[in-house]
Amino acid sequence: MTPSLTRRGLAGLALGLALGGALPALAQSSGEPVMIGVSGPLTGPQAQYGALWKQGFDLALERINAEGGIDGRPLEYTFEDSQNDPRQTIAIAQKFISDPAIVVEVGDFSSTASMAASPLYQRGGLVQFGFTNSHPDFTKTGDYMWSSSISQSQEQQVMADYAVDRLGLRRIAVLHLNTDWGTTAKNIFVEEAKKRGAEVVAAEGYLPDEKDFRATLTRIKASDPDGLLLESYYSDGALLVRQIREVGIDLPIVAVGSVYSPDFLSLAGDAANGVHTTAYFTPVSPRPEVQAFIKDFTAEYGQEPNNFNAMAYDTMNILAEVMRRHGTTREEIKAGLGEISGVPSVLFPEVSFDPETRRVMGLEPTELIVKDGAFQLFQP
Amino acid sequence: MGSILSLPWFDFTVSGVVIGSIYALMAVGLALIFGVANLINFAHGAVFTVGAYVGWVCAVALGLPLWATVPLVALGGGLVGAGIEYIAIRPLNRQSRIAPLLATIGVGLILDQIVHILFGANPRALPVPMPGWRVSVGQGSIGPIDITIFVTAVIAAAALYAFLFRTRLGMAVRATAQDEDAAKQMGVNIHAVNMAVFAIAGALGAIAGLLVGIYYNAIDPNTSFQIMLKGMVAIVIGGMANVPGAIGGGVILGLIESYGIALFGASYRNLFAFAVLLLMLLVKPNGLFAKGREREAEPMTGTFVIQSMPVRPPGWLLALGVAAAALVPLAGQPYLTQVMTNAFLYALAAISLTLIAGTVGLVSIGHAALLAIGAYASALLTIAGLPVALGLVAAAAITALLGTALAYPAFRLRGHYVAIGTLAIGEIVSLVILNWTSLTNGSMGVFGIPPLTLFGVDFFSTNPSYWLVLGLVVVFALLQTRLLSSHLGRTWRAIREDTVAAETYGVGSNYYKGLAYGFAGFTAGLAGAVTAHQFSYINFDTFNLLTSVLILTIVILGGLGNVTGAIVAAVLVAGLPEMFRVLAEYRMLFYGAALLLLIRFRPRGLLGSG
Repeated sequence: MTPSLTRRGLAGLALGLALGGALPALAQSSGEPVMIGVSGPLTGPQAQYGALWKQGFDLALERINAEGGIDGRPLEYTFEDSQNDPRQTIAIAQKFISDPAIVVEVGDFSSTASMAASPLYQRGGLVQFGFTNSHPDFTKTGDYMWSSSISQSQEQQVMADYAVDRLGLRRIAVLHLNTDWGTTAKNIFVEEAKKRGAEVVAAEGYLPDEKDFRATLTRIKASDPDGLLLESYYSDGALLVRQIREVGIDLPIVAVGSVYSPDFLSLAGDAANGVHTTAYFTPVSPRPEVQAFIKDFTAEYGQEPNNFNAMAYDTMNILAEVMRRHGTTREEIKAGLGEISGVPSVLFPEVSFDPETRRVMGLEPTELIVKDGAFQLFQP
Repeated sequence: MGSILSLPWFDFTVSGVVIGSIYALMAVGLALIFGVANLINFAHGAVFTVGAYVGWVCAVALGLPLWATVPLVALGGGLVGAGIEYIAIRPLNRQSRIAPLLATIGVGLILDQIVHILFGANPRALPVPMPGWRVSVGQGSIGPIDITIFVTAVIAAAALYAFLFRTRLGMAVRATAQDEDAAKQMGVNIHAVNMAVFAIAGALGAIAGLLVGIYYNAIDPNTSFQIMLKGMVAIVIGGMANVPGAIGGGVILGLIESYGIALFGASYRNLFAFAVLLLMLLVKPNGLFAKGREREAEPMTGTFVIQSMPVRPPGWLLALGVAAAALVPLAGQPYLTQVMTNAFLYALAAISLTLIAGTVGLVSIGHAALLAIGAYASALLTIAGLPVALGLVAAAAITALLGTALAYPAFRLRGHYVAIGTLAIGEIVSLVILNWTSLTNGSMGVFGIPPLTLFGVDFFSTNPSYWLVLGLVVVFALLQTRLLSSHLGRTWRAIREDTVAAETYGVGSNYYKGLAYGFAGFTAGLAGAVTAHQFSYINFDTFNLLTSVLILTIVILGGLGNVTGAIVAAVLVAGLPEMFRVLAEYRMLFYGAALLLLIRFRPRGLLGSG
């Protein structure tokens, strides 16, 4: 460990303490816990994301509670398994709404599962805080739906900037997950690319459980693109880049930020080299919050954090900060989300929410490329 | 035409053969088991997954070389295969064909869940050092692993063929397949034969899992069902019990998918697979390579309803039960009320399935399709401006018509062909919803479905929506019970018991099957429509294969054909796992074990089949 890193870590710690406000330094929290209800997948096809969330939540709570929790009360969460299934998210919503101990709800994972429960949370007056819900309609159900997930219109503008303006691609082939997320992303990207003077020559959707893309890629190749854009998650993204190279396509690949994960590198192997992506959370960022998070996470779990870990970690910190500044009742949290600003987090330098769209503001994407089996800053 | 001809057909052919050899490798094991046990082993996909993870433990965790990994994987798969025979097949020896098929679904769920618990859901890399050379074929290339997969499939098929037709044990296997009792009398130990076959097929399936894992450099516990379905389509193409035909079937399926993608795009892939499956079942159920009708269709219509006296609870008890159910919201626990609403929605779906599966004898693994049709019909109509009350009725009517028309081809199928055929229909409905973007909004789903209000009265709050659903269950249960005691019920049961005899007596079986489907479709469509208004958002995956399996589990638990049983079982199946939320990770284990134990120990269900 270099001294400079240690200083950064200390700076991060000091900053965190300063933001803790009037709390006594390093006071252990005690008393009635402040309870957050989490609805997410612990079993079923999306179970891995629930596991990633837990790691992020636990790490954040450890720190928050070591610093005195919420005005001396420990912050805790209860995790209900929804299997990312709308039938179960609405049952869980009833449970949380009727439990007076729950002050805010977090989740669910997919927009489908989350939005099924949204009308209930809206009527029940409990904030539904979705941090993986990039669906443009997620926050539209009502004023109790808030999201720290980058909306897809924001994300796809970044992708189009990267692919068209930075890399100079003019004939782009898009491969996208044929889900609400992937299709929305594709549609917005097509428009944004057009605005920047590029053409989308092919767009192919695939289902999340598909593994074989050779025929699809042959079709893509026949459309004669000069670059590929992947609207994928990391596991299917890895399968794709391997097979892209196997069918002999040797063009630049730009992948949406959700491939940013160590697992993408191990699953894709050598084929990952040369893949462009963007990240809001990246270890190469010099910001002290990021470095402190990576250090703590690696020490706790013996592995490097990924994007989902970071988003979960941020979620707890943002909510804790809202509660500290504005109070812990359901209504105070809802009002607080609209007013809070300048919260530093791992993903964003300064978090605040647009009170109109109830979406996070203050993005600052980092452009990355895979080199020698690692994500590195892209310098053309 | 010029543009079609100018497509890189050679490259599409290569792509088709590469994926086709993976399907072929799966199909060989399935065909072998079908040949002996006359059964589609739905757990074969889970064996594939187990093989992949045993391979990961050996090659990555223990760092063993490939030559040591392969036999260990084969051993592991063989043991699992033998275990499946011992647990799910042997005890059901004297039951009808559909019983072991459902038992293998249960075993598959259990195995998948065990892998899931042990290794987590995250995909893992399976980096096994392979020779670095690649052969350029067309514009792409194939590597040593592609060739290994194809060669393994061919060698396995050839070896099995030689084993079946050149060895004494092989002869015993074939004798067992033809006539179990006769084989037994000739001194064949049929249990040992069956177990040997399942072990061989298990070893093959596990090796397939390892090879495919290496090919993709990725393994995850959620691949089982998809790969099993593709293997199943391959053996239907190649001829169910035809081991060499399985290779042809796999490659043909790969080519059809690849050419389909070439012409229409990637999102149509599975639609082609299942359409081919359905077509084959209808036109050439013995496969492309059959010389004639080798295997006689099963004499039974294909239920495993054994005559039993259904428990008939007295009327006052039922009335008391309904009254107690109506009081649930007064407990002041919205969560409990919501869980019960879900349970009664399942009950409504189960009532409709118990009619077609139990009373008429068409055991369907695609029932969720009816829910999906009802849900989409009501959602789209009400968004277009129709009042919700009319939307619900229209959706139910549309489901009745469309559902019957869709299932009509399956009416002539028998035994487990019904199960496969309905499964295919269910998948096709879901894939059409996915691809018919102009009507259904495709993968984006339908958002902003109006909440339940009937004639200006609020039915969307927790309690009113509960009472509404409960009311629907009571009305349709009474209606169906009334139908079953009429001449219609007698005719349906006659068709189930012996279709040929019924037709001899002048009963047009298709007409009566159609009536049953129409009534069931109406009920199921209504259940789907109410669900859609409750969720306010649905997509093509809201009612999936797992929903179908769950509804079938409920119906079997309640006793096939038993209306009261279906309702009680729905409350148990949908309610119990909620009470054991602490055991969340084991929920699927619970479903799998329940299905398996039921078929084993109470095939007539809790309340007996009627």
